[in-house]
Amino acid sequence: MRRAIAVALALVLGLSTAAALRAADAGQPIPFGRGSWAKLWSAHAGKATVIHFWGLTCGPCIIEMPKWGKLLAERPDMRLVLIAADPLPQSPERVNEALQRAGLERAESWAFADRFYERLRYEIDPAWSGELPRTLLVAADGGTTALPGVADLATVRKWLDAQPRSKN
Amino acid sequence: MRLTISALALVVLAGSAAAQHHDHGGAMHSFSADAREAFTATPAFGPDGALWVARGTADRVVLARSTDLGKTFTAPVSITADPLNMDWGPDSRPQLAIDKTGAIVVTYAIFQDKSFNGRIYATRSTDGGTTFATPAPITSDSTSQRFQTVGIDPDGRVFAAWLDKRNAATAIAAGKPYPGAALAYAWADDSGMRFSDTRLAFDNTCECCRLGLAFAGPGRPALMFRNVFEGSVRDHAVVTFKDPTTPGPLRRVSVDNWKIEACPHHGPSLAIAPDGSYHAAWFTGGSVRQGLFYAHADNADAPFSPPRALSSPDRQPARPNVLATSTAVHLVWKEFDGEKSLVRWQVSHDEGRSWSVARIVAETADASDHPLLIARGDRVFLSWLTRNEGYRLIPLGEST
Repeated sequence: MRRAIAVALALVLGLSTAAALRAADAGQPIPFGRGSWAKLWSAHAGKATVIHFWGLTCGPCIIEMPKWGKLLAERPDMRLVLIAADPLPQSPERVNEALQRAGLERAESWAFADRFYERLRYEIDPAWSGELPRTLLVAADGGTTALPGVADLATVRKWLDAQPRSKN
Repeated sequence: MRLTISALALVVLAGSAAAQHHDHGGAMHSFSADAREAFTATPAFGPDGALWVARGTADRVVLARSTDLGKTFTAPVSITADPLNMDWGPDSRPQLAIDKTGAIVVTYAIFQDKSFNGRIYATRSTDGGTTFATPAPITSDSTSQRFQTVGIDPDGRVFAAWLDKRNAATAIAAGKPYPGAALAYAWADDSGMRFSDTRLAFDNTCECCRLGLAFAGPGRPALMFRNVFEGSVRDHAVVTFKDPTTPGPLRRVSVDNWKIEACPHHGPSLAIAPDGSYHAAWFTGGSVRQGLFYAHADNADAPFSPPRALSSPDRQPARPNVLATSTAVHLVWKEFDGEKSLVRWQVSHDEGRSWSVARIVAETADASDHPLLIARGDRVFLSWLTRNEGYRLIPLGEST
């Protein structure tokens, strides 16, 4: 299941089939590099999506992640995209271990894989200074609500309830 | 931390699509690809005018010397025999200080575990950097230390300060909250080999930002740090020591009101000019102001001036560095224009009241270290390690 999703996603994103298969088989995050943001954005265009930025080097994030795991279990229809946005690229295994511990191994997962941190952040939001965690609630029309810091999941639930049913 | 071979292969393969528009000869952009790639360079001039640079990689601290202002370097010498698990936090770097006799002091932090608990080590060379003593922990407590800074006071004594988690561990074990970490310090003994007993200047400072260090006089260090004020507001403060073991009162630099339950990995920079004026630069995301700022104070007791914005927040201004010589105050920082990281430079000849136009003095189109200022007499240089260009020492002219 996860393999199929990852492969389909990777194909949409223009990754090679071999790379996508390997990433899926290894249960690895997709490397987030220059240009990834535009690809991610267009892959989810028209669908209400929750994009959550977190990091292994971010203490509050590690505490928060299991709450996202619970929310995803409760709302399996939620389109959740996780982006590990550590200032320096982290090992994919460790990113994946953290996701498994939080019950988030099913979610679409990316990890910063480029030391040109300024560039990656600028592509996402020029005014974002990189603080984590950070959550973006992206409506089907692209309208975005940013939740800086640890997210109030009641706000997220309410937002999800207000979104028109996506056919995926 | 070490990637397995298969994981490396995976990242190379999977990363190829994302990197295709900016590929530099197929090089992978993750620093994990090559543990030996330096991602910090810390400079210091020796008493003979030679430039020393300490480079931090994922598993080494190496030192090299240049007698032609950074054009060529001697073969790098590793200060340890064995690889390290370097603290690679974005505000962490090996520190380097050289005293009047030419003795070289190097400190660095390692990660002790996967939870980012650090340990600071210090070593020294008295034979011109040919050999280094076996590095020793800077303090006997092993809880966690990070973000060390080292300087030599006007009398030649080596001072070190760092962020220390010992009281946090004790408090948490007792079921009490303890935001942040303590600001700790120690002086080296006359041999420069051993640091004295650790003292804590303040509890509850922000736990992952570097410290700014300057000297108000012999035995009188001044530290600038991100403090944790009431309500988890993480704004900056300065402490000036009354004597070597008596920290003065905490002086708030600015009320930015950055309430954040996390650490932003953005530390400040501090300089004290010969007339005793203080010059501070820092990053904030507070409700009062956001971005990079500068302020000055006439002396150790005076309040700081209203903050002056450097650049605008949507250009990611960050990593300020301020330096005072006998004739001027210099300021550099890094910002991003959408394609390139730029270093801008400003100079003031009236104790920070007025400043030259911010000039671009260097740029790069890939990853880069913090821009650092260094002086030889009144000659000021920008020291900058960038992925594409390597190490550069750029003289900052006085024109325009």
